[in-house]
Amino acid sequence: MSRLQLRGLTKAFGTLTVVDGIDLALEQGEFISLLGPSGCGKTTTLRMIAGFIEPNAGSIELDGERISSPGSVLPPERRRMSMIFQSYAIWPNMTVAENVGFGLKLRKLPAAEVKRRVREILDVVQMGHLAGRYPAELSGGQQQRVALARAIVVKPAVLLLDEPLSNLDANLREEMRFEIRRLHDEFRITTVYVTHDQAEAMATSDRIAVMNAGRIEQVDAPHMLYTRPRTRFVAGFVGRTNLLDAQLRGDEIGLAGFALRGEGVAGIAEARQGPVLLSVRPQSVRLHRAPPGTADGRLVLPGGIAGRVYLGEAWDYQVRVAEGEQQLRVAAPPSQVHEVGAPVWLGFDPEQMALVE
Amino acid sequence: MPDTTIALREPGPAARRTTWFGRLRHVEPVTLLWAVLIAALLFLVAFPLLKLLAVSFETQGSGAFTLANYGTAYGRARYVEALLNSLTLGLITATIAVVLAVPMAWAVSRTDMPGKGFTWAVVLAAFVMPPYLGAVGWILLAGPNSGFLNLAWRWATGAEDPLFDVYSFAGLALVIALHSFPLVFIFVKSALDLVSSEMEDAANILGAGTWTAMRKVSLPLVWPSILGGFILVFLETIALFGTPAIIGIPARINVVTTQLWQFFEYPVRVEVAAAYAMPLLLITVGLIAAQRLVLSRKGFVSQTGKGGERRPIRLGPWRWLLFGWCAGVGLFAVALPLLVLIQASFAKAWGRGLTLDNLTLRDYRLLLFEHEMALTSVWNTIWFSGVAATLAVGLALLIAYIVARKLVPFGEALGFLAMAPFVIPGIVMAIGFYAAYAPPPLALYGTATLIILAFTARFLPIAYANSTAAMRAVHPEMEEAARILGSGRLHAIRHVTAPLVKKALLGGWLIVFIVASRELSAAVFLVGPRTRTMSVLLYDLSEAGNFEVLAAFGGILLVITMVFVGIGMKLVGRDFMLRRT
Amino acid sequence: MQMITRRQLAAMAAAMAAMGTGAAGAQEMPPHERELHEAARREGEITWYSGQYSAEGSEAVGRAFGERYPGVRCNVVRSTSQVAFQRLSQDNRAGVAQCDVFSSTDFGHYSLLKREGRLLKYRPVNADGLLPALRHADPDDTYQSSFIGLYLLAHNTRKVSEAEAPKSWTDVLDPKWRNQLAVGHPGFSGAIGIWAVQMRKMYGWDYFKRLERNRPLIGRSSIDPVTVLNAGERSVGVAVPSGSTLLSIERGNPLRLIYPTEGVLATISPSAILRNAPHPNAAKLFMEFTTGPYLSQTVRLLYGESLRPDVPPPEGSRPLDQITLLAPTQEEAEKGVPEVRELWRDTFGI
Repeated sequence: MSRLQLRGLTKAFGTLTVVDGIDLALEQGEFISLLGPSGCGKTTTLRMIAGFIEPNAGSIELDGERISSPGSVLPPERRRMSMIFQSYAIWPNMTVAENVGFGLKLRKLPAAEVKRRVREILDVVQMGHLAGRYPAELSGGQQQRVALARAIVVKPAVLLLDEPLSNLDANLREEMRFEIRRLHDEFRITTVYVTHDQAEAMATSDRIAVMNAGRIEQVDAPHMLYTRPRTRFVAGFVGRTNLLDAQLRGDEIGLAGFALRGEGVAGIAEARQGPVLLSVRPQSVRLHRAPPGTADGRLVLPGGIAGRVYLGEAWDYQVRVAEGEQQLRVAAPPSQVHEVGAPVWLGFDPEQMALVE
Repeated sequence: MPDTTIALREPGPAARRTTWFGRLRHVEPVTLLWAVLIAALLFLVAFPLLKLLAVSFETQGSGAFTLANYGTAYGRARYVEALLNSLTLGLITATIAVVLAVPMAWAVSRTDMPGKGFTWAVVLAAFVMPPYLGAVGWILLAGPNSGFLNLAWRWATGAEDPLFDVYSFAGLALVIALHSFPLVFIFVKSALDLVSSEMEDAANILGAGTWTAMRKVSLPLVWPSILGGFILVFLETIALFGTPAIIGIPARINVVTTQLWQFFEYPVRVEVAAAYAMPLLLITVGLIAAQRLVLSRKGFVSQTGKGGERRPIRLGPWRWLLFGWCAGVGLFAVALPLLVLIQASFAKAWGRGLTLDNLTLRDYRLLLFEHEMALTSVWNTIWFSGVAATLAVGLALLIAYIVARKLVPFGEALGFLAMAPFVIPGIVMAIGFYAAYAPPPLALYGTATLIILAFTARFLPIAYANSTAAMRAVHPEMEEAARILGSGRLHAIRHVTAPLVKKALLGGWLIVFIVASRELSAAVFLVGPRTRTMSVLLYDLSEAGNFEVLAAFGGILLVITMVFVGIGMKLVGRDFMLRRT
Repeated sequence: MQMITRRQLAAMAAAMAAMGTGAAGAQEMPPHERELHEAARREGEITWYSGQYSAEGSEAVGRAFGERYPGVRCNVVRSTSQVAFQRLSQDNRAGVAQCDVFSSTDFGHYSLLKREGRLLKYRPVNADGLLPALRHADPDDTYQSSFIGLYLLAHNTRKVSEAEAPKSWTDVLDPKWRNQLAVGHPGFSGAIGIWAVQMRKMYGWDYFKRLERNRPLIGRSSIDPVTVLNAGERSVGVAVPSGSTLLSIERGNPLRLIYPTEGVLATISPSAILRNAPHPNAAKLFMEFTTGPYLSQTVRLLYGESLRPDVPPPEGSRPLDQITLLAPTQEEAEKGVPEVRELWRDTFGI
């Protein structure tokens, strides 16, 4: 039995359907991210899980018990969950220790027990020395740690995180990603994490549910999402890609002016014959100054550099394929310098290509 | 101008003048303005208070130093008792006001309670209604033997004893609280507005229900505002003169203000009155210090500006209970007193109830056509309040601007002086003005000037807070953008800043106007025969207990106020009076 | 105790009869008034601090004055007498002259003002037509009689029957009147101060200690209890003015006057021109108006007692010669009122 199960979950505000029939199951101890652009319905989904919003259709079950359905919503305070908010929602009128102990006190634990567990969890998030401080005296990262401690200390059935890192600066954000994952590895709390930042989702999650326009496009492990995107949206949203119109004939993928063999391309087995969409990751194309000697049967095409941008970690080349009108973005290591206008040969690696819907 | 350019190039004395001119170009006219403002504030705020302090140590007549005034002021048990009565009254009243207002503020700000517009109207009406009129209304309602409520109670239950005796400590406190709770409401509501819903959500998800979340999170977050409202009501109460005179004397409760009034009996003992008023100032200072101490380093709502999504809490059937509470407050604070006042104003004898043969327009006729002073006092009220509001807003705007833009060193001192009257009981302020400016050399006693200045000083803080808020809303870069394009500071203020803050200032003007138009305690010591305001005339009328005329006059005052409130709503928006000021 | 003797009153009545209705057609302005009127017009107005007559009565007097002497407006500043005196004291303390004519029911004020040299000596020509007993209020003519106030008991006839009602000043001390009495305050009302001095003189301060035990409702003005009785808030008014009570009865309120067996408190109080009056001629004219028939004609319509034999007393008021009048002397009043005011505050706490 799943710990948390969403079935056909739907929410509309007026005529606008924000969440549109979502199905999702979380196993005990699993960390799932809801990833998507703003307005995709991920936060609404999270708030429905928390019990702040009533669904219009569908249901939410926790350990098999139905906690949300239209007309019947178990209030948030009785769901044994906890949540970390975008604004942290650290109560400024309470000290760090009071913030963290709040949920424990509501659970009527003895004072000594509360004190002990607050001290323990604060040590875990490295905030033990600041227990007596007020939030106004803390930095953003420290407040975030307090929020984490406050949410974890009650040992919730499900931990919900709503874009928790969006108010932090870049360095701190990276640090906190690992912190969140470390805490998850330590406590194995079933977690739903909402974010629009794919790097965050990838760094923290066991699985990622990519959402778009109220629907889940794909749920998969992070590396699978990248290498095996199933929809045009997922391919475009997770990492950069070249989306090419193609024709699938037999196991050959015909592109404008050239064709490549479909062997090794993700999704080819499920794809229908006829017009398809091919996702070609910029990393899956290699640039050569001269035709490569051994192609291992891979497709090699001549082309020319149409433009380039140096990004520090890599070059981002615009390459025009000689035959046809096709232009591709290709990533190359910094050492591979090609002048604009120079001829190049492109070698394709089918491992990083996928046919998407 | 070419001529100037040539002149500037000439050597010798002219060159020296050049540098002088050059330097002048770096001096902003604002520095001069600053000096003028300092002078104005010293005149309006500092000098009357210092004079009051000085006078409290003077021997009457000779002016020699003495401590005897303090001995006289506190040498009699009755005088000390009055002080204690005032403190007790202030505490009870402020407590009642908080109890009345906080649920209303919470309901309006955070929940899906129905009838929020109605609740606004209740608060606004209670705020606009002069307290002494409310007091008269409550005498008609809850006089132990003749009050309508008590008659109804006896009729319904057959009881001998009245349900509620307005002539009691509780009666006095309740009546004052019913007209001062809007202060708490405004404070708490605007603070609650800033609390992000996530603060409550966080408590909910950790296991706190709506009630626990409100008690443990929302209200503690706005604790400074509750405390601030409490202190303000406390200060208003101990400085209130009209209601204690109208209810307190029959109830035989002597308070500081009625005692101060006694020191003005023949022979006028300003020195003793000054000495007697000093503890009020000390208490005020003590309260503010205590507030600081209590709040210390805790953070409150002001630090939680970000993450500002707010959703109303769904209360289910409880929302009707809250609505009932708001409606109940409206009934007792506004509807019932107003109804009995209107009834009385059209009655030949109000005790005879609502019958056709008891109806008359006599009192309106008397006031509008026969009373020699009534219309003059209406006019006085309008123009004193209007000029005072204009002065206060103008002064406040300039100070707020200088402070906000940090144009001069020690700008905060200006701000402090402008806010000081906020915590000085109005009656103390009036006595300070009497001591400082009534006698020669200025000899302003009884003149319109003195009353206008006193009103200006008394309500300067309202205008200042309003202007500060307005000024904060205008980013300095908007003005800087104009200046870099060549507009001078004053030009930039006129064409960029002023239009942006116009609406807020109009709102501030109207609030000052309305509170000034009903002000009694600051006026009662300063008016002359021809400069009496409506509030003072009402007070004079109240002496003889002629409630019918009083009610009619109150009706006229309310109509005038409503006109201005209406204008305000039209021009500035429905909630112009109730924004945090 | 100074009682106006029956003989004096008989003389008054006789004089009244003799002078009869001569005042009726007095719209023609006698030369002395015309002369003053000319001068007063240049001043344009007069400010009158009045604690005599009710608010309504004072306004009526001010209006009548303005009508009789066009171009001279009367600023009526009506309050209780002690408050009027307080205003005057505040003016004086501030060194500002605002008041022209001062009228108080506490006649003790006048000996004080006179001793301090703050009154202007003026003998109105019209004063010669006052009731003989009122003609010479002050041998030095710094103040002139302008008000006869009668203060007695009254009851609400719906709450208390005539038979049950108290008959004398001491009857109200009976514990059965607990929570049923209403009275003014000597710290505000001049007349109540005079009454308190008189009661203390007759019965000692114990009278008020016992009154306190009955927990009267304390207003400010002596007129306040009339309103309280009208409303039925209390049943018996102590030391209420006859004029306001009669006016209230005329307006349909269920009140009845009680003439206490010991006698009725009478405050025959004067008005005076201030030495620093900003409008001295208008003030003199006002004194002529006050002592002439005009004031009496105006106030009798509101049940104020007439000051002159040529103006009949108000309807429904018992003729002065049929009642015993009680009043302390002026010296007693001047010394006594401040004393009883303090004692009152100690006894009643307010």
